[in-house]
Amino acid sequence: MSALDLGDIQGFIMRSYMMPTLRVFVLRVVEPGRARATLGAMVGEKPGVPQVTTAAQWSEKPEYCVNIAITHGGLEALQVPQASLQTFPPEFVEGVVARADRVGDSGPSAPSTWKGGLAGPGVHILLLLFAQDAAARERETARWRSRLGESGLVEQFCQDGDALPGNLAHFGYRDGFSQPTIEGGLPGLIPDPLPAAPAGSFLLGHPSQFQDFTYPVPQPDDLGRNGTFMALRILEQDCAAFERFLAEAPDRYGISGELLAAKICGRWRNGVPLSLSPDTDAPDPPIADEQMGSFDYVPTPANPDAFDDRKGTRCPIGSHIRRMNPRHASVAGGGGLKRRIIRRGLPYGPPFDVSHPEDGLERGLVGLFIGVSLKDQFEFLMKDWVNKGDFAPGISGTRDVIIGVNADVDNRFVIPRAGEPPIVVTGFPQFVKTRGAAYGFLPSITAIRHLAAV
Amino acid sequence: MTQEAPGTRPKAVQSPLTLIMRIKSPEAGTQLEALLHRLQSAPPGKNPIWNALDTLMTVHFARFVFLENNTRLAVITTYDGSFDDYINDFIDAIGDVFNAILQFMDDAPPLPVQQNRQAFLDYVRANDLRGLEPFYSAYPTSTVVTIMDALKDQA
Repeated sequence: MSALDLGDIQGFIMRSYMMPTLRVFVLRVVEPGRARATLGAMVGEKPGVPQVTTAAQWSEKPEYCVNIAITHGGLEALQVPQASLQTFPPEFVEGVVARADRVGDSGPSAPSTWKGGLAGPGVHILLLLFAQDAAARERETARWRSRLGESGLVEQFCQDGDALPGNLAHFGYRDGFSQPTIEGGLPGLIPDPLPAAPAGSFLLGHPSQFQDFTYPVPQPDDLGRNGTFMALRILEQDCAAFERFLAEAPDRYGISGELLAAKICGRWRNGVPLSLSPDTDAPDPPIADEQMGSFDYVPTPANPDAFDDRKGTRCPIGSHIRRMNPRHASVAGGGGLKRRIIRRGLPYGPPFDVSHPEDGLERGLVGLFIGVSLKDQFEFLMKDWVNKGDFAPGISGTRDVIIGVNADVDNRFVIPRAGEPPIVVTGFPQFVKTRGAAYGFLPSITAIRHLAAV
Repeated sequence: MTQEAPGTRPKAVQSPLTLIMRIKSPEAGTQLEALLHRLQSAPPGKNPIWNALDTLMTVHFARFVFLENNTRLAVITTYDGSFDDYINDFIDAIGDVFNAILQFMDDAPPLPVQQNRQAFLDYVRANDLRGLEPFYSAYPTSTVVTIMDALKDQA
């Protein structure tokens, strides 16, 4: 297995930068030649120009990182030849608006509701600025904007992300425990007991998670190789409705709000997995952070003492983390390990204050979901595992409570219990709405140089 | 089990595959027959078709039928969910069986199927006669994974 050229790969694919602030600039190409030169300068080691951050190891963590995603419309606007544009995957060519129904972006999440012009034609380049603090973010933003006039680009919109106190997400969960380990890549922060994912599940030009199969590399090779794809998701969270939902739990279901929160997720809100501690979020001895990913739903050679949770009495089969990553549990297709996805991103909006629930402020998550195939990873997860229930036993006709399409449909969430009838949770609203999205190609450094020379 | 109101039976989660493949020649037909006979007479646990389908857990039933004087081979199955969405899992599970069979077929897609996945999908779509809608299912919401899980409970 050849080593990965980490210096050629955009850094946030291979690792989280662990920076608490983010700004996503949505840019439109207005002068293709200048825009190409701007991209070239970002990999040309030009002094004073922020450079695209690679996956090469740091000796010292920088103050900020910069990465680039380009939509199909953006590649076209940069005057990439048609013959090359046609070699990109169909779902990327079609773009998010055409694919919206497939992933559940309809009704309250429909593109017509999106902000920032994200449903429109001018979404070409996403500049991702990750920073160690808000001051660094503002400094780099000012620097970038001062050069915008010469850049051949205009800024259409920007979306911030900011870590919340305690690194929680807006529904009160600690997040980000489970990330796939990439073969040949950088070690993860929290050990993942599942087999490492082949490099080609996350990078073009390498063997993928499917047998003897390398995803077709967009051509020419310099443009496609070591690149990958990203789904940007701006997801608004209805915290008031979520807290009401939890508050009703004792009267409606005879369980605490915290247990309900745990059952719909698969982890207690403090991150402790139900599979390791089904009855309390404060097990004794406590579970160290490095152990937070070390569980499975059925016994396996790596986890021979795992409780056989086939029936979901510890972690419900329809819970969020079990839908998104079934590990070794039985699922249709037998491919529970072949749909891994890399998740980056941060919350946006001020912390929710349960004593002022209707503050009218928007809050949610800016998500960056990375995989070699938008269709087989991000889209498959949304279509088949979030918004359907046929891939696993006992959840037919149900959807993910936290992120699923639950508006205007009869909805149910089943909490199995050993030796007792299940608790059936019903009548909950849709908690998450899509406020914007984009499909971006994440080119390698070689590819950005290639684009500059088109 | 609740009684359904008339006319509200859910659409079946299962779908029919009626894949009709054209065999190249009578000689190819003879060799294909021998191959299938060999695969199907493997001892329990060694039939590659059965092992593949056991792993896949989306196929309820599968049969091979020679038609029209051994000039056609039909693969007839009942399977859950979207064929397209699970094509990669399908190819990983049973690709080698199709590699063996397709070498005897006219207009076969490029082989091996594992490396030519879109072409294999296109070939199946072009040659799948499916069936007249609506597809009858005695248990329209019961997938293979659900049935196998329920049977484990009974055991």
